[in-house]
Amino acid sequence: MSIEVAAPMQGKVLEILVKVGDRVSYEDELMLLEALKMENPIYAPADGKVVEIKVSLGATVEAEQVLIVLE
Amino acid sequence: MSRKQTPLRPYFERMPDIGKPLSEAELRRSKENLDLVREQQAILAKENERVRNAGIPAAKIHERGGMTIYDRLDYLVDEGTWNPLHTLYNPQDNEEGCTGVVNGIGKIEGKWAVIIGFDNKVMAGAWIAGQSENILMVTDMAKRLNVPLVWLTNCSGVKLMEQETVYAGRRSSGAPFFRHADLNHLGIPILNGIYGTNPAGGGYQGISPTILIAHEGANIAVGGAGIVGGMNPKGHIDAEAARALIDATKGFKAKDPGRVETHFDKTAYFREVHDSEKGVLDGIKDYMRMMPAFDPTMFRVAAPAEPKFPASDLDLILPANQKRTYDAVQVLARLTDKSEFMEYRPDYGREVFTGIAKIDGFPVAFIGNRQGVFPDYPEYAKGAYPAVGGKHYRQGLIKQGEFVTLCGRDNLPIVWLQDTTGIDVGDLAEEAELLALGQSLVYSIEQTELSMMCVVLRKGTAAAHYIMCGPQANNNNAFTLGTPLTEIYVMHGETAAAASYARRLVKEEEAGRDISPILDKMNQMIQDYQDKSRPAYCAKKGFVDEIVSLTDLRKYIQAFTGANYQNPKSITPVHQMLLPRIIKG
Repeated sequence: MSIEVAAPMQGKVLEILVKVGDRVSYEDELMLLEALKMENPIYAPADGKVVEIKVSLGATVEAEQVLIVLE
Repeated sequence: MSRKQTPLRPYFERMPDIGKPLSEAELRRSKENLDLVREQQAILAKENERVRNAGIPAAKIHERGGMTIYDRLDYLVDEGTWNPLHTLYNPQDNEEGCTGVVNGIGKIEGKWAVIIGFDNKVMAGAWIAGQSENILMVTDMAKRLNVPLVWLTNCSGVKLMEQETVYAGRRSSGAPFFRHADLNHLGIPILNGIYGTNPAGGGYQGISPTILIAHEGANIAVGGAGIVGGMNPKGHIDAEAARALIDATKGFKAKDPGRVETHFDKTAYFREVHDSEKGVLDGIKDYMRMMPAFDPTMFRVAAPAEPKFPASDLDLILPANQKRTYDAVQVLARLTDKSEFMEYRPDYGREVFTGIAKIDGFPVAFIGNRQGVFPDYPEYAKGAYPAVGGKHYRQGLIKQGEFVTLCGRDNLPIVWLQDTTGIDVGDLAEEAELLALGQSLVYSIEQTELSMMCVVLRKGTAAAHYIMCGPQANNNNAFTLGTPLTEIYVMHGETAAAASYARRLVKEEEAGRDISPILDKMNQMIQDYQDKSRPAYCAKKGFVDEIVSLTDLRKYIQAFTGANYQNPKSITPVHQMLLPRIIKG
């Protein structure tokens, strides 16, 4: 079952902390979104494996936009 | 059969749980944070040690058979209850490296007192620059908390080479005598243990408290015996005048005036005289046992209990990276009894939390900034931008004003947990009345008779630092603490550099000139802001009363709470409190 991790707010992708194939645990940091001058970590909602990263470094993303897919 | 219980038990005995244990992932990624916290703690520990070693070596005092101020405090204060304040305070950068007084809040014979003493290693306790302000902060605290002020006087008077830095002015070294008069007038006792030679300013320091207890070698006097010459008619010192001074000094045999023979045997100013330094401290302990203090049972709403989660978690939760968000309620959960919190209006003004918790079984109000992003808020922005934690918006300001007002009615002391970047700005914010609502919160705080303490967890910025009961709340703020991660400035250095140089950059670029000199100035300004906002600087300048480790925060909150409930000037019967009922609905 795949899990889509979406942006909670509009922002800029500041750092991608995982790569495709990585295994992650619940609440691991996946990505940093810069919004309103703050660094907002995006956490893994569950244990899993990164199967797709749908955004690139520096990209501006909208709220609800899917960032990463876990399996 | 007799039955007893704490008041409003259904509200206070078991309050809602907050917080959760740190996850494996949180523990893993916080290792670097812990290193950064410890780095700051090491800087602060080194600074504290430097101040402790200021002046002549302690060994010299010991060789003379004397005790240093630190020895006296160790003997006087109940073990484990000392909470030092103003340790690094030295706003005028004295060559002594401190202001010559050591102070804090602690228990003596089981009762809270504000305690201050001259550092007899530093110029025999002379008046030096910045000292009077330090003393005034302490007298304010005793007044605010309505607890005794205990002095360990050992004061040689003005450092004559720098008299202009201490003698004259509204808040100069003479002002504490009026503060002592004020405290006495208000019924707040001042106990004074007197050591050594205390002429002039030292004499008034000696005479102005309520109860005077002297060491056998002590004196207090209008002036010292050491002033052997009068006015020199020449107006300058030449060889002839110097010769006369040398002869007069060699022949000078007079004892210091105002010794025990005078002020115990004849005037009877001294209640007690002791032939040992410890005897003086024992005398203070005797008088502390006479001080007014309610049994804590009078005001407790539950049995004291520790938080469910360890204080050491705080070093992992609070990010050293100032741009990182975190869960502020996780911090609160490491401070309150049993990690419980009864929150007031959680769905309104979500950027701040307000509510009641227990500290050592006493009811205490907490207000703090939440962090993170709040979509669909503030309501007045209508989606133009989302709210970000640390900032204040209309609802949050209204909620804080309401809550403070109700705390005033219920006599609940307030602990503020600041991590704030300011109040929302722009036309929408002005239309939403944020300027007036900020000042309205200031009014709400001031119109209460409450004691409050403020912790600047990380950022204290812009007017938000003021409105959240920063030290500027002179009538309410008992003391303000910083942490190893505190930064206090009007705005972030990058914002300030942009505000200062943006137009200049445009001008230079349009003129086709090299902008790198401007960039250098901007970066210098950013660095300067950083250097002048770090914890040790904040402590030195008095932006906070002390920088404490995160693991010690609860200890200071316990001291604040215990002192507040020791002898309150006003009481709201717990069963008549409104706030718990409003929260329950």
